[in-house]
Amino acid sequence: MSVQEKYQSLLELANQNGTTYELSEGNNGTLIITGTAPSEEAKQQLWDEYNRLDPDFRAGDLILNISTGATAAGGGMHTYTVESGDNLSKIAGKYGIQWKAIWDHNRDILNDPDKIYPGQELRIPM
Amino acid sequence: MKIKYLTILSIAIALFIGACGGKSDADLQKAVQDKLAADNITGVTVAVKDAAATLTGEVADAAVKSRAQASATGVEGIKSVDVANLRTRPLPVATPAAADPALTGKITEDLKKAGCTGSSVSVVGGKVTVTGTEPSARYAQCVQVIMQSGITGIDNQLKRGS
Repeated sequence: MSVQEKYQSLLELANQNGTTYELSEGNNGTLIITGTAPSEEAKQQLWDEYNRLDPDFRAGDLILNISTGATAAGGGMHTYTVESGDNLSKIAGKYGIQWKAIWDHNRDILNDPDKIYPGQELRIPM
Repeated sequence: MKIKYLTILSIAIALFIGACGGKSDADLQKAVQDKLAADNITGVTVAVKDAAATLTGEVADAAVKSRAQASATGVEGIKSVDVANLRTRPLPVATPAAADPALTGKITEDLKKAGCTGSSVSVVGGKVTVTGTEPSARYAQCVQVIMQSGITGIDNQLKRGS
């Protein structure tokens, strides 16, 4: 059984509760789910399901990296200064997150996700 | 008399065909394709032989594969669905969010902020090894903090205290 199949119900739950995610592969086939949940509740549902499939998160075959649109996820915020030629997708790529996560955290200073300017300081959820 | 027999025979044949359901493999193939399209599942090629469907191609992930199988199985007249050769897309290789010392520093700081003072971490090649003990009530939160730091691997040896 592949890692994806092991955590299939977690992916299905993410699809159902409105979490957007992307998959990537880390060290030794570790599955990395990087996504943004619509609410803390939705995020908690995913963590509950993860705990059900892998009690106490011991297996080391999954990294669940879910932030929520509304607040900084668990850890701190990083500040990124926009450089010439940047766009949100490109910046998000550097952090392994989705552009929308940056957009959601910077609505107060951005009016349009396609318009960012060199020198602007963006909050990066990490 | 001959005409009567022919009439009866043709009625019998018509009834027989009707009783069989009459859906050809081609009809079933179209029905499955339409169902997958309606469910927003793309990248799947459908073949049907003797009412058994075989799905091939490439889908985004295991959840989509499972939905594709369920959708095809739900089509009336389909007896079985084979997804053995329906692949999931190869995943891009993740890169750690920062160099190992920077990640170690960031995680340590984030843990401290979250009150996870019993954990210690070391990062090698993007993979974090977590040791120490955290109270049961805070355990999951501490693991979350670590997993949200941009690492690409984890060896979780953190003990769950009382």
